Amino acid sequence: MFAARHNASGRDDVASREAASNQGVAMRKASVALLARALAGAVPLPRSAVLLAGAALVSGSVLLAGPAHAQDMEFSLDEAEQQPQQEGSAEGADMSFEEGETQPTQESGSGDVIGDLATTETAAEQTETREAPTEQQEAREEIFAVQQVYALRINRVEITPTASFSLNDPFVQHTGVGVGLNYWWTNVLALGVNFIWYEGLENESDIGYFVRRATRLAVPVNSYQFGAHLAFTYVPIYGKFAMFNEFIFQYDIYVLGGVGLMNTRPIPVIDPEVRSFNFDIRVAFNVGIGLRVFVTRWLAIVAELRDYMYLEQLENLEVALGAERTNPDTWTQNSPAFINNVTAHLGLTIFLPFDFEYRLPR
Amino acid sequence: MLTQKNRRLLGVLAALALGTAITTLSGAASAQDVQITGPLAGQPAVRHMRQYRVNRFFITPSVGYTLQDEFSRALFFGGSLGFHFTDWLGIGAWGGGAPIDIDTDLTSQIASNGQVSPQNRLSLPSADGFPDQVGRIRWGASLHVLFIPLRGKLSLFQAGFVDTDLYILAGVGLFGVDERSDVSREQYRAACVDQPQPPGSSAPDCLATQSRTSRILPAPMLGVGLSMYFNEFIGLQIEWRAFPFSWRASGFDESGEDANGAPGSGFPDEQIDGADARTTFNQMLNVGIVIYLPTEVQITD
Repeated sequence: MFAARHNASGRDDVASREAASNQGVAMRKASVALLARALAGAVPLPRSAVLLAGAALVSGSVLLAGPAHAQDMEFSLDEAEQQPQQEGSAEGADMSFEEGETQPTQESGSGDVIGDLATTETAAEQTETREAPTEQQEAREEIFAVQQVYALRINRVEITPTASFSLNDPFVQHTGVGVGLNYWWTNVLALGVNFIWYEGLENESDIGYFVRRATRLAVPVNSYQFGAHLAFTYVPIYGKFAMFNEFIFQYDIYVLGGVGLMNTRPIPVIDPEVRSFNFDIRVAFNVGIGLRVFVTRWLAIVAELRDYMYLEQLENLEVALGAERTNPDTWTQNSPAFINNVTAHLGLTIFLPFDFEYRLPR
Repeated sequence: MLTQKNRRLLGVLAALALGTAITTLSGAASAQDVQITGPLAGQPAVRHMRQYRVNRFFITPSVGYTLQDEFSRALFFGGSLGFHFTDWLGIGAWGGGAPIDIDTDLTSQIASNGQVSPQNRLSLPSADGFPDQVGRIRWGASLHVLFIPLRGKLSLFQAGFVDTDLYILAGVGLFGVDERSDVSREQYRAACVDQPQPPGSSAPDCLATQSRTSRILPAPMLGVGLSMYFNEFIGLQIEWRAFPFSWRASGFDESGEDANGAPGSGFPDEQIDGADARTTFNQMLNVGIVIYLPTEVQITD
């Protein structure tokens, strides 16, 4: 007989209050029954479990007096009262603790209730081979109101291979492949770099050609070779969602910003017979927002939207006459243009080391 | 620079590598998959979940804005309505008009700097009048199925919590577009070639070839959206939709037909017709307020 409270939304209604009230009564009765059995020696619980049951009794009484909140999980009194009969059968209990038995420690690398329960499966299977206990046993299970963060980031390194696509340039599709490296010095703050390679992957669309042919108007376009950027990442939002009400996934949403370099050059379209351009370094600022969905505690899928802003040197729309035509100084416009290269990144992120330890057991 | 073929090959290889990485690195079992014994075994993953959609109608007034347009953006005003049979499946209809459109910078550049010559007079009878030949979306409507695979909560700075869901829609749509009218070879020659043309401009008869016509185009409709609920029956929806179709977005003489009548070659064919249409991947962003009826929400056990 258990109860868990999880103030998930901060909103409640009459139905949930009633449910919470019933749950509180069930919790108190369960705690009293369990504590009484333990004190009478009928249930071989460790001392810590007795103390926890007492604490649960006090907590249940206190919580009954206060306003109830919505719960994510609850177990009814009927379920709990049927439990001893089931556990007394030859099948044995799924979970039981005997004298001297302790729960798995946090150093085992688990980290949440679900994970801990899964690890007890082996122990439960082992107990099935024993003879059925002569004494009636009750399962005891601790469910904490606030669970630990699913995957800690602090002091871990994050490697993020991605593919990227430009979103706001109808003339050139700046496709790239890249890798990012972040070091998390807190759970929500990281400093990192990313590198993107574009050359050979970009694709000039047909619209530029059609416009040139139909209007005799050339639109200056540029190509990128690579970009390298430094950025701070901050995680203001994290949570979890359910897929088909069955599978729970953890996610976080992050924002980032920083500065870096872009190696770019104009694509000669005005006077391509004469002009050619070399790549040149531009200073670029970047801001972005991203979503990280954890598949395991060290692997996540990441989608990111980032705006790389820089001053671009565009090809001169006018062709100088005479010998000046071959003068490279006349090939580019006098003043640079401010470019927003809005890019979508899609990829994986891998946290190293794979394992981590929680600072506190719960 | 890589050839087009090599680029495609590289793209396919990159996609395969990504897929392989995902399948191999993720392992067989997800840590989030509830695989437990004991009293929690068999229990639902979520209890007391508010089912915002099941057996409820919805109406969503919305505004939308097309994205990635080459020549003109459309601002939509409209809305959607529908019904959900379950919390994860429903049907809906969307419709909207686009009374306001905004020319892109490229259209403005062509209008101010485009050059008219005897060689391109059909594609651009008048630079100033280029906005008159640009294709514009006037209205749109769709019937679609809604699929809601993800439910969850969103916390902002650990201060505000809202229930959210992510939905996917797929269906068919109809779009009303205004675009440049057909111009036959004979019309073009009579209006633009046989008439005396001042240098750098077109005669009034040639300008008449920039006239417009309306068409209704079918298109597949795909989308994905996020709902955030303020209370049990009102929420905010942000939605992206894609509806590719073939149309004359530029009004240029872009393509012709070969000797067998197949499109894609023979430029210039000196006529504006269906061969000049190009398929564009049209996209839009919709923001709306969703209202569910009845107002009471169902809550699971």
